[in-house]
Amino acid sequence: MSPDTKPPSLFAAVHVSEFPAQSILRLRPDLQSAPVVILDGTPPQERVIALNSHARKRGIIQGLTRLEVEEVGSIHILTRSAETEIAARTVLLETLSQFSPRIEEVFANNACSFVLDIAGSERLFGAPDQIAHRLRETIVAAGFRASVSISDNFHTARIKSEFSRGISIIPSGRESNALASIPISALPLDLDHYGTFALWGIGTLGELAALPEDEMIPRFGQPSRQWLALARGNADHTFQPLEEKFELKEHIEFETHIEQLDALLFIGANMIANLVARATCRALSLASINIEMQLERSPAYKRRIQPAIPSCDRKFLLKLLQLELAAHPPQAAVTALTLIADAGRQSKIQLGLFAPQAPEPSRLDVTLARLKAMVGADRVGSPALLDSHAPGRFQMQEFSVIDQPRPSAQPSSPRTSLRRIRPPHPLSLQITEGKPRSFRDGATRYEISVAYGPWQSSGSWWDLDRWDLEEWDVMATTNSGESISCLLIHDHLNNKWLLDAYYD
Amino acid sequence: MPSSVALRQQIETAFQHRYPSVLTPSPKTIREVVPTGIIRVDELLNGGIPVGTITELTGPASSGRTSIALSAIAQRTCEGSVCAWIDAKDSLDPESAAATGVSLNHLLWVRCSDKASPRPDRSRKDAQPWTRLDQALRATDILLQSGGFSTIVLDLADESIEHGRRIPLATWFRYRQAADRTRCSLIVLGKAPFAQSSAAVVLECHPSTVSSISGTVIRNFNYKVQRRRERFSPVTSPITSIDRKPPSSDWTSPAAWDLVKRASSEHRATAEHRA
Repeated sequence: MSPDTKPPSLFAAVHVSEFPAQSILRLRPDLQSAPVVILDGTPPQERVIALNSHARKRGIIQGLTRLEVEEVGSIHILTRSAETEIAARTVLLETLSQFSPRIEEVFANNACSFVLDIAGSERLFGAPDQIAHRLRETIVAAGFRASVSISDNFHTARIKSEFSRGISIIPSGRESNALASIPISALPLDLDHYGTFALWGIGTLGELAALPEDEMIPRFGQPSRQWLALARGNADHTFQPLEEKFELKEHIEFETHIEQLDALLFIGANMIANLVARATCRALSLASINIEMQLERSPAYKRRIQPAIPSCDRKFLLKLLQLELAAHPPQAAVTALTLIADAGRQSKIQLGLFAPQAPEPSRLDVTLARLKAMVGADRVGSPALLDSHAPGRFQMQEFSVIDQPRPSAQPSSPRTSLRRIRPPHPLSLQITEGKPRSFRDGATRYEISVAYGPWQSSGSWWDLDRWDLEEWDVMATTNSGESISCLLIHDHLNNKWLLDAYYD
Repeated sequence: MPSSVALRQQIETAFQHRYPSVLTPSPKTIREVVPTGIIRVDELLNGGIPVGTITELTGPASSGRTSIALSAIAQRTCEGSVCAWIDAKDSLDPESAAATGVSLNHLLWVRCSDKASPRPDRSRKDAQPWTRLDQALRATDILLQSGGFSTIVLDLADESIEHGRRIPLATWFRYRQAADRTRCSLIVLGKAPFAQSSAAVVLECHPSTVSSISGTVIRNFNYKVQRRRERFSPVTSPITSIDRKPPSSDWTSPAAWDLVKRASSEHRATAEHRA
């Protein structure tokens, strides 16, 4: 290649029109077949800034006021959400990054546009028309409707995608013809210039491109050179690729506050599906999902779900979300929902042929979540003994089968175990010669045949959870002849006798 | 003269409409068993608790049910298997479990509570919360269906007999099917047998006596265990005596301090022997 020869260039422009509406509707499949308008502004001066095709068929146009829209009737009116648009833009960008790492954002009114540098990707994705189709299918799968144009010229692709629907493939050298029918509003013109061109009878780029450049520059100055280059499809452009941080985040604000968990999960399912799709594109999984909700007149709700191993199973993650919300339901109506996921490596568990029986980690997550939703999060797990002399002290820790070391200790010889009574039953006790002789637990009276003790223990006198106990191991019988071996304690702090445990 | 095989075929053919395979012995299922770690109980059970079945340990308080169950769990967790303890009355003592040798990291403990979440019954606004027994049964169902647990203990030892007998037979039948499919040993602790025909083994435990009453500490609990039911007995006799007593066994369980004392005496004896 000689130094004067420019390297071959190929650009794909993606234009998502009515972006404020599309960013909300992609997460609301229930509204996609209904007329929807998006209002912006301070009440009562809100005006329509975006709408879908169903609303357009009903005669709605941009700029109408809320009152005018309500007069039409049966139109879903939603409020613009900047945060939802930011999240949707990130999703769109993530989707496009599957095709090219070099993406430039083009600022378009009320729309979201990107231009991809796809030069050299033909061997990867096929001919330009195949790239365009694959691009559009991927965008549709992400929940957007977009027009796609492919051209050798950056601005030609950009302008064509903005003013056409569907897919446009512009062959090299036919840029001017492709842009001929596009109105001159595609150019950055002042109102005075529009007026002048209207007087001249020039309304399209094709008509503008036919004007002689030498005659234009004396009348409009140097900017006219750029207009002509744009209209003829040979304007130069220095590509400025975006450098976006990878963030798995989905956000939606609700026009009516949601109280039912089912309705929330219906939307959450779509958000999780989008997060999974984006993570999968980068060969990643979701290691955890942070759930944040804005509640009506209540503090924000924050929870976190974390599977044992990173997963990209959409149904599994949705089930965890459902069980988490069932176990900890929000205390007020939900006004906005945000899911922020942490990406993790896609991991596989290697099962051993001779490994001991153990639950499947992802299935165990769902099982534990279901149990926690039923009995309480702090009542499911593995017990861990605390380093304390206080009797019956333990804490619950998270149960896991991942990286669990094989126990080194052998089972010790069997010994009599205790069955704790939580909380201990208060007793009425009779003491003779310093030893307990009988006690009554509820309606049952026990005669003590043998009592061993007392065993004194106390501790943590410097703390709130201090204890001072006197323990007695007793064998007792009821009137009906039933005999038990149990542990009685005398709580010196509260001066109470308690039935603490049975030997069993 | 016809051979015995031909004769048998002839007889079976003649009776096949009324008694199919009249002279062919029915195939016996030989179940894999896992030891409980208590020699006398294992001898009584012909090796241990059968895998993939329901085993019931019944008896009143202080009859050794918990000790047998914890010993069985200790055997399984020390192999690296994962077990679960579903505690209807929240009565498991982790210290006792650790002292028996249970690897607590391999034990999932589900503590049923009164302050549980409401039933997920959206059609009823007045849905009552799950009771402890409901929670325990549902948790057992969830764990059995999920699979992967080698032993699950359903601790209904403090539930009243009336409540335990109200558990539908269909529930026990479902447990039996799930345990068989997931090769899980389900041990049910109760005051009386609740699983009825779904139980493969029923062990009746009897209260303890303490051997050294004159000592200063309670020690050496003696228990008696009777085998009331064993579906997969390897030795079966076609003739059952009417006055036959169920096989039983006695076993002694020392207290924790007995073992400490025994270990110290053994250590002392070893030291003297070396000297």
